[in-house]
Amino acid sequence: MIAKRWKIGLLLIGTATLLAGGMLYAQLRSGSYGSRNAVSIPQQPVPEFSADGKYDAGAYPSFTPELAPGDGKVEVQSFCATCHSTRYIIMQPPLPGATWDAEVTKMIKVYGAPIPEATAKRITAYLQEHYAPENRKE
Amino acid sequence: MERETHAVSRRSALKFLGAAGGTLALAHWTHAERATAPSPDDAKPLETFTGPAANPHWNSIGPYVAEPQKAPLILLTDRPVQLETPRHYFRTAFTPNEAFYVRWHLAEIPNAVDLTEWKLRIEGNVNKPLAFSLTDLLQKFKPASVAAVNQCSGNSRSRLQPRVPGGQWGNGAMGNALWTGVRLRELLDAAGVKSGSLQVQFEGLDTGAGPKGFGSSRFQKSLDLANPVVDETVVAYLMNGEALPMLNGFPVRLVVPGYFATYWTKSLSWIRVLDTPDDNFWMKTAYRIPDTPRGTTTPEDLKAGKVKTIPIERMPVRSFLVSPDGSSKIPAGLGVTLSGIAFSGYGKVVKVDVSDDGGSHWHAAELGEDHGPYSFRGWQTSWTPKTPGKYVIATRATDEKGNVQPDEPVWNAGGYLWNRIEKQELVAGSANGGGR
Repeated sequence: MIAKRWKIGLLLIGTATLLAGGMLYAQLRSGSYGSRNAVSIPQQPVPEFSADGKYDAGAYPSFTPELAPGDGKVEVQSFCATCHSTRYIIMQPPLPGATWDAEVTKMIKVYGAPIPEATAKRITAYLQEHYAPENRKE
Repeated sequence: MERETHAVSRRSALKFLGAAGGTLALAHWTHAERATAPSPDDAKPLETFTGPAANPHWNSIGPYVAEPQKAPLILLTDRPVQLETPRHYFRTAFTPNEAFYVRWHLAEIPNAVDLTEWKLRIEGNVNKPLAFSLTDLLQKFKPASVAAVNQCSGNSRSRLQPRVPGGQWGNGAMGNALWTGVRLRELLDAAGVKSGSLQVQFEGLDTGAGPKGFGSSRFQKSLDLANPVVDETVVAYLMNGEALPMLNGFPVRLVVPGYFATYWTKSLSWIRVLDTPDDNFWMKTAYRIPDTPRGTTTPEDLKAGKVKTIPIERMPVRSFLVSPDGSSKIPAGLGVTLSGIAFSGYGKVVKVDVSDDGGSHWHAAELGEDHGPYSFRGWQTSWTPKTPGKYVIATRATDEKGNVQPDEPVWNAGGYLWNRIEKQELVAGSANGGGR
């Protein structure tokens, strides 16, 4: 009788130990740091100011995006970037070919962009080939 | 006594064994879940673009960037600068200057202004053209203050279906500040508006590389002199009690309460009284909306040439849930505070309704302090997710003119005037002990 109780006791202790481990495992997970690098933005130093009338915020930083490689990329970088950075292109959602055509036409006719006709065609073709719903990658 | 203890022990032992089995099963299940559902540390980064479907996120998806005089904000474009305010900055009714969104049209924006040279000129169809230094504005006129929301016409453009080209803003192209400066009317009166004048035009220090006579070289906006908003308009030299950040229009910018930000000329330097309607690109061609209810139309009607347009003006009523933002799971049974902001360009927000079932049932939230008809108005309500599961929080504001936020989308070619009811999914998790 006593031996049987001991056995039950041991069984209970064993089970409880397993249980505690299992419950701990189920209740929390800790010490996991992953392999992804933390995103960081360097802090900005405070500029030195003089007491004159000039209020200078400094230069605005550039963020030149990687454009998709392909025919017409060079023309896009030189002509489109006259007025605005090429982030204007990659910021857009994938746009249908006709919309890209209309955008390039608008830049020329409405905003007066001096782009030769043949170059404009290459620019439009590049945008349609890399930034439309059926082909956009990033 | 002893017997009873044993009996209890045996029963406990059985329970224990059952529980042990359950716990092991739970551990297994948790393990299995870990294998299928990615834990946050191996989650995918945000996509690099959204579309052709609507942007599903509250903000736009660009990276955080550090610009002069600014906290890290979300980048739309670097040249000219366009930055979006992250959602959490809307926890307060006044948006901090360093977090206030930025939107310029032309790339040659001021980096520096020399206040020993700079003047604000009032010219055109006036009796006496004037030029004021900042000191003149501070000393010769009585300061006037107004709390007003500045919102880009294209705020939330990334929600439209089908998507339209333009700045792909999420909801953060807006901000509220206490603006202090000189009343536009006092400046106009000082110069003396000649009879027969029609409009007043505004231009800042920004210019573009485009050819002369095109919208790509100068940015100019005008208001009708007969428009009552002219009497509410302020030339602001203070923003939340501080000088304006360069990117928000130092040294002074126009504040047109209730109107979209396109009229709020930054680094304002020329005020011109016109005796003919302003037909420059930014009035005649850009920033126009269909002359229809809510300014909405369809791509088909547009193509068919059926859409008559008018200049965009006042901002339709909107509301936002700011917190919780869905980035954390909420334990079921925990009472949390749902809070956010609301505003309307047509007057004071008088009601914000909140739903936790996607808009089927609504109840009124408690409104925050009234900072004036054109300010953000905070709102909050306590909410307890009673059982685990997914909840869709929707918010709906009503203004004093009786305008109510609808649950229908807006579409127009410019991507303007979005004010559909916002929805946010929140997940409540189980919080019961005992492995259930």
